[in-house]
Amino acid sequence: MVKHFNVGVGAVCRAVDGVSFEIRAGETVGLVGESGCGKSTLARVLTQLTPPTSGRVVFDGVELTGLRGESLRQQRKHLQMIFQDPFASLDPRMTIGDIIAEPLTNFKVMRGKAKDARVQELLRVVGLNPYFNNRYPHEFSGGQRQRIGIARALALNPKLIVCDEPVSALDVSIQAQIINLLEDLQAEFHLTYLFIAHDLSVVRHISQRVLVMYLGKIVEIAPSDDLYAHQYHPYTKALLSAVPLPDPRVESQRRLVELSGEIPSPLHPPSGCRFHTRCPIAQVPGVCSEDEPPLEEKAVGHFAACHLSERVRTDLS
Amino acid sequence: MTGSVNDPVLEVKGLSTSFFTDDGEVKAVRDVSFDLAAGETLGIVGESGCGKSVTALSILGLVARPGRVVAGEILFKGRDLLSIDREELRQIRGRDIAMIFQDPLSSLNPVHRIGAQIEEAMRAHDKIASREVRPRGLDLLRQVHVPDAARRVRDYPHQFSGGMRQRVMIAMGLSNRPEILIADEPTTALDVTVQAQILQLLRDLNRDLGTSIILITHNLGVVAGLCKRVIVMYAGEIVEEGSTEQIFDAPQHPYTWALLRSLPRVDADRHERLRSIEGLPPDLIAPPPGCKFNPRCPFRLERCFREDPELEPVGDGHVAACWVTMKRAHAEMGAGSLVDTGPGAASGVRPPIAPEAPDPSGADGQDVESETQDRG
Repeated sequence: MVKHFNVGVGAVCRAVDGVSFEIRAGETVGLVGESGCGKSTLARVLTQLTPPTSGRVVFDGVELTGLRGESLRQQRKHLQMIFQDPFASLDPRMTIGDIIAEPLTNFKVMRGKAKDARVQELLRVVGLNPYFNNRYPHEFSGGQRQRIGIARALALNPKLIVCDEPVSALDVSIQAQIINLLEDLQAEFHLTYLFIAHDLSVVRHISQRVLVMYLGKIVEIAPSDDLYAHQYHPYTKALLSAVPLPDPRVESQRRLVELSGEIPSPLHPPSGCRFHTRCPIAQVPGVCSEDEPPLEEKAVGHFAACHLSERVRTDLS
Repeated sequence: MTGSVNDPVLEVKGLSTSFFTDDGEVKAVRDVSFDLAAGETLGIVGESGCGKSVTALSILGLVARPGRVVAGEILFKGRDLLSIDREELRQIRGRDIAMIFQDPLSSLNPVHRIGAQIEEAMRAHDKIASREVRPRGLDLLRQVHVPDAARRVRDYPHQFSGGMRQRVMIAMGLSNRPEILIADEPTTALDVTVQAQILQLLRDLNRDLGTSIILITHNLGVVAGLCKRVIVMYAGEIVEEGSTEQIFDAPQHPYTWALLRSLPRVDADRHERLRSIEGLPPDLIAPPPGCKFNPRCPFRLERCFREDPELEPVGDGHVAACWVTMKRAHAEMGAGSLVDTGPGAASGVRPPIAPEAPDPSGADGQDVESETQDRG
């Protein structure tokens, strides 16, 4: 999949470039990477909120990228999204009952008493008082608003929910409540999640598989435990080495894999491997600045796009 | 730096700061006392609204209306910052005590070059010869590892990345060689790899220049990596204080203990359900009587509803404000194997007055909060 944004005067922003992956039913796939790596663009293309420049999105056997108008709208029922900011993603002038009922109204699934009952059921499911349906978003805390956003996403019994940084705006004690809720709902309603976050600890906790993105490309994909046990891409290694741990002893022995420079502009991505300008082990000039590394299977189910993946383990640990 | 490590450079005594709003007095900080020794790194942790930032702003006399410091003393080398005149305080602020904030972009002036802003910070306090200003500004940028500093002093803030802007803020903070640097969530807006670099920079400054650092953050991992001593705040009060090892290895306040357990860890070896803390922090206009954590505490006793616990010693240089403390919770209430983390779950103490049935038309915020429950 490719998403280029035309940003005027002949410049093209390659936000997502040549990305391919699959999500299996019932699975939670984590997507990590730093600001500007393309993770939110990828989510928007996946849900067809933004059309891709080229490439296909196939959902449950249906090619979404080929659909237009009403047929695309019908598919959206199965594909919902939870957003980062629980303050911006709820209309302040609607009651939470109306907010949660909106998808039901839009798709004419239910009306009258049945709809009211469904709203109350959804509130109960996300751990809120079912009689709060007449209140407005400002009466709720951040964690409670995120519960309201989750109830809205659940209203149409979707198959896939794309969670874009759903807990990063929440306090630590509330974050755990929402993560537990998402896990309970997944078990109860057989949901599939694409979980986007910059917090690697949260992603490790909730995901079975993890995708790591850098500058519009997927650089590594692996089952969560494998990825955290060993890395085949130096960027993943650097990311993990930088995660602060609530443990002074581990912290005092931290070995940071330092990246030089800053993330390049996606308007002019580097040649060859996009990471070579910051990579601690790159051969420049050489293979890394000339050839783009393909995403290859380095161990069972563990893919990485690096020419020197063997050296990641020997030189960087 | 002069003075031994035991000499406090800053003493905060009985600090209380309130915001006088239309809805009532919000007691944002209540009776907070602590010392900062020369060359020390102190972390203040807690969640939104716990009073950690207001404590920092109170130290520098920066609390904005309708807030004001209502009680206490803030002694910087023996002088009370709350009773000196504005001009004296202005001289100390920036020269002796500097502060850096979470969002470097809104702290920098977008229409002035980076170099000019650092020079302004220097001129504000020191009588410095004009020809020395520029080279010293350049030195500062090099000190905080801004690459190609000679060229970049001519850049504007928008040409800097988030991490580089935070380095500029630190350079400005250091421009007068302050004895204390207060960093309020300095890495929260930054990516994890950049965060690690900024923390390394703060560590180096503390080691090489002897600058005392107060780090204010919600991120327990950041504190573990930088600070020697930690203060935990909840609902405007200090609930626990100790060395970093004491706080992380053997927390004695149930809030600290629960906070540490609720974190997913990147180095966890198996998947366990997160132990969340149920409910929400209290309303600071009308906090609950007794211990402020009692509505969420699994170990609460009858006494916790009536009497507010004071900070008591629980170890060498380790204090906690709790009638139970985790020592007893582990010994008598099986805290180590606790699965249900609901209020009163371990002690069996329910509220003395049964809560009223949910009122469908009820409009006060309090009952909205008490109704949220963690499922399962």
